[in-house]
Parts: sequence; C-alpha cells; structure tokens
Amino acid sequence: MLEITELRKHFAGGPESPDGKLALDGIGFTVRQGEMYGFVGANGAGKTTTMRIVMGVLQADSGSVTWQGEPLTYAGRRRFGYMPEERGLYQKMRVAEQIEYFGRLHGLSAVAAGKATGDLIERLGLGERRGDAVESLSLGNQQRVQLAVALVHDPEVLILDEPFSGLDPLAVEALAAALQERCRGGVPVIFSSHQLDLVERLCDSVGIVSSGRMVASGAVGDLRAAVGRTLRVVVRDPAPGWADGLPGEITVKGDRHALVLSGGDDQEILRRAMKAGQVEHFGFEQPTLTEIFKEAVA
Amino acid sequence: MNGLTLVARREITTQIRSKTFIIGLIVTALLVGAAAFAPKLMGGPDEYKLGTVNSRQLPLQAAAPDARVEWSAFPDEGAARKALLAGDVDAVLVDGAKVLTDGEIDSELGVLLQSTHREVKLGASGVRIEPLLMQSVGADTRYQSARTGMAVVLTVLLFMLIIGQVMMVAMGVVEEKGSRIVEILLTSVRPWQLLGGKIIGLGVLGFINLVTMLVVGLGAAVASGLAVDFPPGMPGVVAGVLVWFVLGYAFYATLSASLASLVSRQEEVSNVMTPLTMLLMVTYFVAFYAASEPTGTLATVVSLVPPFSAMVMPVRMAAAGVPMWEVGLSMVLMVAAVAGVLALGAKVYERAVLRTGARVRLGDVLRAK
Repeated sequence: MLEITELRKHFAGGPESPDGKLALDGIGFTVRQGEMYGFVGANGAGKTTTMRIVMGVLQADSGSVTWQGEPLTYAGRRRFGYMPEERGLYQKMRVAEQIEYFGRLHGLSAVAAGKATGDLIERLGLGERRGDAVESLSLGNQQRVQLAVALVHDPEVLILDEPFSGLDPLAVEALAAALQERCRGGVPVIFSSHQLDLVERLCDSVGIVSSGRMVASGAVGDLRAAVGRTLRVVVRDPAPGWADGLPGEITVKGDRHALVLSGGDDQEILRRAMKAGQVEHFGFEQPTLTEIFKEAVA
Repeated sequence: MNGLTLVARREITTQIRSKTFIIGLIVTALLVGAAAFAPKLMGGPDEYKLGTVNSRQLPLQAAAPDARVEWSAFPDEGAARKALLAGDVDAVLVDGAKVLTDGEIDSELGVLLQSTHREVKLGASGVRIEPLLMQSVGADTRYQSARTGMAVVLTVLLFMLIIGQVMMVAMGVVEEKGSRIVEILLTSVRPWQLLGGKIIGLGVLGFINLVTMLVVGLGAAVASGLAVDFPPGMPGVVAGVLVWFVLGYAFYATLSASLASLVSRQEEVSNVMTPLTMLLMVTYFVAFYAASEPTGTLATVVSLVPPFSAMVMPVRMAAAGVPMWEVGLSMVLMVAAVAGVLALGAKVYERAVLRTGARVRLGDVLRAK
C-alpha cells in the first residue's frame, strides 16, 4: 500500500511573485495493491508536484510517503516505475538499447534486462523499430518506448504523469491494456490525466486536486453516491404546465420535454408524466466524472 | 555492474559508434603523422649553389658537413653574371679572388667562403691550424629544437583534447537536463554516479584519442627518422603527458559539468561556459610560451599552480628537464585542486540538475541548504 500523507510544498518566489507559491497544501491519499488510481485536477493544481515528490525528484517541506508501511527511500523508489510529464529519452539511442539500459540502471542483470526488453518490445508492438534511433519514431511510438522504460524492471508501483496525452485512440487502448495488466498483477498504478472519461473507465479510485488540496478522493462509486443520482424523464407532447411545482429543469426539444431532477417522489413524478403525455424515457442516471469533478472543484 | 560503470559504458559505446568520433580520430591521427614528417619535407639542411670562373672549388663540404654544396663552372664572368641574375647560382668565385652575388650574400655563406678561403691560403703556405674544440658548460642543448617542437605539438594536442572532451561533457549534461531524462535517471542512480560516469566515460574516450595520437606520432617520427633527434627520457615524457591529461581533464570536466547543470538548453551552454573557456585559453597561451621559454620564471611558477600546471608542466617537461621535486609538488597541488573541484562540482550538479527552466544562479545553488 502506498500512503501519501499531508504533503506540503512551497516554492520560493521570484521577482514577480515575492511570496512564491504554495503548490501543495496537505495532499494525502492511499493506493492499495492492484488499484488503479486516477489523479485529476486543473493545470497547476499540484498533480505533477505530488508525483515528483513521491519519486524523490522534489523534496516536500513536510508530510510523508510510505510504501508497505515503511518510509519510502531511494532503494524503494528504484523499484518504482516512473513516467515524467515531460518525456525524456536519449534521442540518438536505439529503442532496444535504451530500454535495456534503463533496466540495467534499475539493477537488472544483462540477461534479465535483455529478456524484459524483448518481451516489452513485442507486447507494445515496437518489434519493427527496435533497432531505430528514438528520434526517428512517431510521438505515439516514443510514448510506448517511454512506457517500456518505466516498466522494464517490473516495478512494484507505477507513477505516470499524463501518460495518455497526445496519443491516438489506438495507442490509448494499447497503453491502457498494458497498465491494466500490471494492475491485475497487484501493482498499484497512479496516473494523472485530463481525459476524465478515460479515468472513469480505467480507474478504481480517483483523487481530485484543486489548488494543492485534495477536494475529493475515493472509489468512483462512492464519489458518485456522494454527488447523488439524477432522475431523467422525457415526455412527448405533454400538457402545458405538467411539471409545475417539481424541483428540476425542463429542456424542450421539438415536442419532447426532458425533465432532470434529483430527489422528489419518483413514483409520483412518473404518474404525473404519464398523465401529461407519452413517456418515452424514465430512469436514474449516474453522474459522470466530469460532473463529479465540476461539483468538487466548484 | 553498478550505476557508475553503466553510465560510463553508455557514454563510451554511444560515442565510439558515432561517425564523428571515428572520423575525428582518423583525421587527428593523420595530422599528427604528417607533423612528424613535416620537418623532413620543409626544413632540410642548408643548400648552396656555387659557381667558378677560372678558380678551384673551395673545400666547403669539409667545413660545413651538414650543408649541401653544388658547384658548376662558367667559361667567363659574363656567363656567370647571367646565371647569377637568373638565380641559377647563389655566388660565383672569380679568379680565386672575388665573389659575385646578386645582392648581398647570405651571411653564413659569406663567413663560410671567407674562412675556407683563408684556410686554403694558409694551408698552402704550410701553416696548420687545429680547429677550435667546442664545449658547453651549461645544459645539454643538443636536442633543443626537437624538444621545443615536441612541446609545441603537445600544447596543441592537450588543449584540443581537453577542450573537446570538456565540451562533450557539458553538452551531455544539458542533453539530459533539457530532455528531463535526468528525472528518470535519478530515480535509479545517484547524482554522483551519473556525473562521475559521464566524466569517466568521456575521459576514457579522450584517453583513447591521446594514446592513438602518441602512438601514431611516435611511430611516424621513427619512420621519418625524426626520432633520431629525440632526447633521452622520452618514456618519462610520454607517461607524464598521460598523467597530466587525466588530471587536467578531471579538473575541467567537473567544472564544466557543474556549470552546464545550471542551464537547460544547448544554446545557453557556450554562454555559461565562458569563464571555463577563458581559463583554458589562458592556460593554452601560457603553455605555448612555456614551450619556447621552458626555464623562464613565468613558466616555472605557472607550472606549479593548478589548473595551469596540467598543461604547462608536461610542456615544460618536454621542452627541458624539470627537477623531480617540482614535478611532484605540482602534481600534489593539482590532485588537491581536482579533489576540491570534484567535491564542489558534485554539490552544484546535484542541486542544479533537477531545477529545469530558467538558468540557475550559481550563488543560489551554493547558498541553498
């Protein structure tokens, strides 16, 4: 279990902002074995800073990061896989050599690194490009190499900053599949993303950050329940004034009236709708992550 | 294999496979080889073309064994004048009494002609003169020109190699910092391993370069016959060059890596490196001066002061003998300087290399806790 507790980080100011910036104001969350954790928030909310602190690239002013109950050390982080926001690869190095090199830096033997590299190259569909210099690859393929670099040493934890940004739908699917596979193997995966539909589809838990604070965190289902479900009723050509007195909003499109509301006596509403006209749709709807996000950040 | 060796090995394999490295190595080897043959092709011994009109040839060859003398006979003075003006001969001896030239005579040739003429006349009257015995009570200067030549070549060689490798270190550091690859690297290796591996790797390449040049240069010198003029103690000079290269490179490379870690873009490298290149240039000029004045006060003092000593001392050692205690002292001081720069440079690098974006100020880095 990866536990992040009360992280605070203040960046020193420059000439234009003498007070500096409070980047993290007590961020904390927990990721269990085999859990996929989505990290969402506006730009500058503190996602990258948090991830960089977990990876030891930055030092927090206070707070702690523990892995399996122990404070995270350099030796522990060496067994993590990391994909920073700004991609970094040796442009002139060949694909296979690069992946292997990082495997060896993480402590793999030459044989183990070679084998892991071969497997990853096959799995990520880079077989034909293994001997090419990274700079000759498309953005999508470079991203695959970057992922391979994060995965080559079979990490215990994966921390990925915006892994899906700039990828075409097929590459997104390939990357998502690779992450899900690791997750099933018991590896906690944390990734940040602005693609909320993707986060909603892939993640077990979500953390929403705003201005350096965790405004909502937990299982996607729990967050939905907190926001509450909504009832949606569509009536065709209803009698005017049929929904007077009901809480909710009506939108009219042609002769269809759609009423969206939360709370109220659903059976009573159904009766009124049927009396007013032809009911085309009656059902509860779960809030999307986008709605949860808007609600949380508001 | 630990991080340090892995990083060093990557630097070496990446460079060795690049065309630039191979071509650079071949070109420098050719240049060094050519330099060893150059004196033979360009310099050569003095050469005199002389003519006679109604005279006997003077025994110049006996007086100047190194010179090449060629005689030709002319039927009369008119023909001799014509040949002189055409530049076919340098001087013509007429009737054993006067010498015709086109303009003023070459001073050495003049002295040579006068003295042999005198000797011949005296010898004819039965006077025999023992030649003066020349003896030096100062340093053995027989090899002076060979030593100076070697020292100059060494100056250029050491300067080119050190500045070349040092720039490679700087560009490598910025490549890793600018592309943020350093963020991934530093989650699996320590900063000192990354820095040390890079310096060692590129240093090994520089060393390979230097050894190649020394081998090619000495080989070509033997082949061209230049080596005959080499002073005794050459193995010592060569070993000294290798040791001094390692020390000088370690000093400048560490300095260069820490300066480069302050910036994030290749365009800023030359700017941030200015103090270092200035320092290297100064060292270069002093070393050049030391090659021609190896026993002067300036050369003696500067060859003890790090980091100048790294280039000036080997040059002095090649240009003239240097007492062992001076070499030892100079080396101890330089090793201390390298240790100091390593400690400071590693600290600057560690603190600055993750601070991407605008150029980091050296003062901020040193003040930070």
